[in-house]
Amino acid sequence: MTFLQKKFSRQKKQNPAPSLPEKPVFRGHGARDQDVCDLALYAGHVLLESGAELFRVEDTIHRILHAYGIYSENAFVLSNGIFLTAGSEREGAYARVQHIPIASSHLDRVAAVNQLSREISEGKHTVYEARSILEQIRLMPEKKKWQKILCSAIGSGSFCVLFGGATRDALTAFIVGGLLYLLLLFPLNRPMSKIVLNILSGSFVAGCAVLLWKLGLGQNLDTIIGGSIIPLVPGLAFTIGIRDLGNGDYISGSVRMLDALLVIFSVALGVGVMISIIHALTGGMI
Amino acid sequence: MILLKECIMAFIGTVAFALLFSVPKQYFPWCGAIGAAGWLVYRLILPMGNRMAAAFLATVLVIILSRLIAVRKRCPVTIFMVAGLFPLVPGVGIYWTIYELVMENMEGALIRGTAALQDAIAIVLGIIFVFELPQKLFSIARSRKQ
Repeated sequence: MTFLQKKFSRQKKQNPAPSLPEKPVFRGHGARDQDVCDLALYAGHVLLESGAELFRVEDTIHRILHAYGIYSENAFVLSNGIFLTAGSEREGAYARVQHIPIASSHLDRVAAVNQLSREISEGKHTVYEARSILEQIRLMPEKKKWQKILCSAIGSGSFCVLFGGATRDALTAFIVGGLLYLLLLFPLNRPMSKIVLNILSGSFVAGCAVLLWKLGLGQNLDTIIGGSIIPLVPGLAFTIGIRDLGNGDYISGSVRMLDALLVIFSVALGVGVMISIIHALTGGMI
Repeated sequence: MILLKECIMAFIGTVAFALLFSVPKQYFPWCGAIGAAGWLVYRLILPMGNRMAAAFLATVLVIILSRLIAVRKRCPVTIFMVAGLFPLVPGVGIYWTIYELVMENMEGALIRGTAALQDAIAIVLGIIFVFELPQKLFSIARSRKQ
């Protein structure tokens, strides 16, 4: 045996053979490959619309399919759609494209689906059980309206302090932030363009802030408005967008960043326009 | 004293936004603590003169804490990361930039815009670098704690 051969054989010994796929967990009676794929797609759907990162969606689909013994899967996820195909000699053919509009963020649903996929990998659920759990997750109750309004108000007030506002400013921001969320929760009879909606919200905030400021509630108009628009700031889209970009999901990452920037631009535009109008009307009083 | 007040406010604000993002109730204290810790670091380093360093280190702390707690509580890191970064995200900085532009105050827009951009870049780098750390580091932290 030459030296090279020796080295080669030693290397072979060091690298163990690639591990065979683990034994799939029990699917339940009568669950076909298609049901498993539907389940994985549905889990991805719930995750994506609740504001999870792309790689988490892909990972969850992958994990569920592998747990139930489908290895030929190919998932391609965008920020508003999932493409899932599967099929080989041994597994049934499956192909679905699903459009998923971006809904509001529900991190509790992300956590619940995460927990579910963990349990599926441990073999705790059949396909049908998992499906019904997912449907329950989708029906998880929203936070109550008064809670949201209160939190928006508290958030505005406390962030006003962080931007250097005095206690009086924070109180004003508290009121304006609450009013803002009241407006946002108001049901619209037809869907409105996001840009227009945010411009209007920004104008509303500016109008309320100036009114309260004129009444002598706050001192510094800049910090009051800065605190009050905080509920409109797309912090989630920004953070998730960065993570997507960091993971190399450029399309989704840039879509989310663009979404975040567009929202904040519109809000600023709304505030600026409103202040300009008030400025012109009052003849430069503020 | 001011710092303490701000940290408390950061805690409260972060919890308030955690609720708006529908974070499960049991994680509220953690979210608030991470948000307050991030803000504390940011405010402590900011007076030393380097804005990007402050935002970067604060982000690094937030993400490390988020990952540790996520591993410990066995839940997605997104929950803590999104809530904890909320006080640092330069949303209001960008808002101020555009606002100054609309008001035709170009100097103000430049200053605000530069600051917002610096914050944003630092946060991006912070997030990407800490997520490059291997998951093993954080799993070890869990097994020691339990």
